[in-house]
Amino acid sequence: MRRLLLAGLIASSLLVACSGDDGAPEISDVRIGQPTGPNAALYLTATSNGAPDRLLGATTSVAASVELHETTMGSDGTMSMARIDRLDLPADGSLVLEPGGYHLMLVDADRLEVGETVEVTLIWETAGEMAVEAEVVDPGETLGDDH
Amino acid sequence: MTEDRAPQRHRRLVLIALAVLIVSCGRDVSSGELQGVVVDPPTEKPSFTLTDTDGEPYRFDTETDGQLSLLYFGYLNCPDVCPVHLAQIAEVFDSMPDVARETEVVFVSVDPQRDSPEEIREFLDRFDTRFVGLTGTPEELKAAQEAAGVPPATITGEGEDYTVDHAGWVLAYSPDGLNHAIYPFGTRQTQWNNDLPILAALGIDG
Repeated sequence: MRRLLLAGLIASSLLVACSGDDGAPEISDVRIGQPTGPNAALYLTATSNGAPDRLLGATTSVAASVELHETTMGSDGTMSMARIDRLDLPADGSLVLEPGGYHLMLVDADRLEVGETVEVTLIWETAGEMAVEAEVVDPGETLGDDH
Repeated sequence: MTEDRAPQRHRRLVLIALAVLIVSCGRDVSSGELQGVVVDPPTEKPSFTLTDTDGEPYRFDTETDGQLSLLYFGYLNCPDVCPVHLAQIAEVFDSMPDVARETEVVFVSVDPQRDSPEEIREFLDRFDTRFVGLTGTPEELKAAQEAAGVPPATITGEGEDYTVDHAGWVLAYSPDGLNHAIYPFGTRQTQWNNDLPILAALGIDG
């Protein structure tokens, strides 16, 4: 009986880890660099669950609006930021929003404290609206792992 | 003049290419060697005068004479690139008070249309109240960027939603008055931690 229970527990935790039956992308590393100016940047990693999708934008109560942006570095080292309409998530891959690449820009963001969590609704072309929690981190830590 | 500038430009391009390589390697060596992009031979500290957030004239070369100075051109509406460098340097200031005492961080806003001196001060205070903020007329800012050897920032887009394309790297001038290394976007905290004490000691006797 105990063994069965244990097996059940393991199986259910595995299921939770997958949670991919509906084909919706799995979202991880959702973080917002603490706003230091009028705008803030949100980063995340989306992993496909077998179906391709497109990230169209997001909404949150802590900003006037949210825009998808891409930062690029020119051949002379100049950094440019431009608004984009959508971001493709490949069927068998992932989409990474990270500093110096893609980000969701929180326009006119509220003052947020490091450690705070913020609810953000991602808008996908197929998966529709998806609520996620973003953690506010120090801007120096938005680069991720071995910052 | 133009003949002199061309090789300088090329060298800068090579440096950037190297920078990308080094950053993508993300090596984490705690040695006495610089981990930023080494400028060889080092270049002279530029001379330009802008206005600080108290409205006073600030001449870069004389104000920072004999100390490590970190020069960065950015703008306040930039949420992605600009805060990362400043937050990383602020982190070093917190953990190494000796280095902080010997270092002047100079942030130049290249968006004079939107960034008022008060807003620049407020922005910098969120990182460290010791950071110096500068602004100026578009002509003064262009001259400052050219003197520092970075491509002058340009505006993209119209109306209030324009963005500013700007150099993404920090220039580090040691107490000897020379730029020994630059720090492109993507520089890691460990690299800053390693390099700032080394840079602060270059040109200090004994």
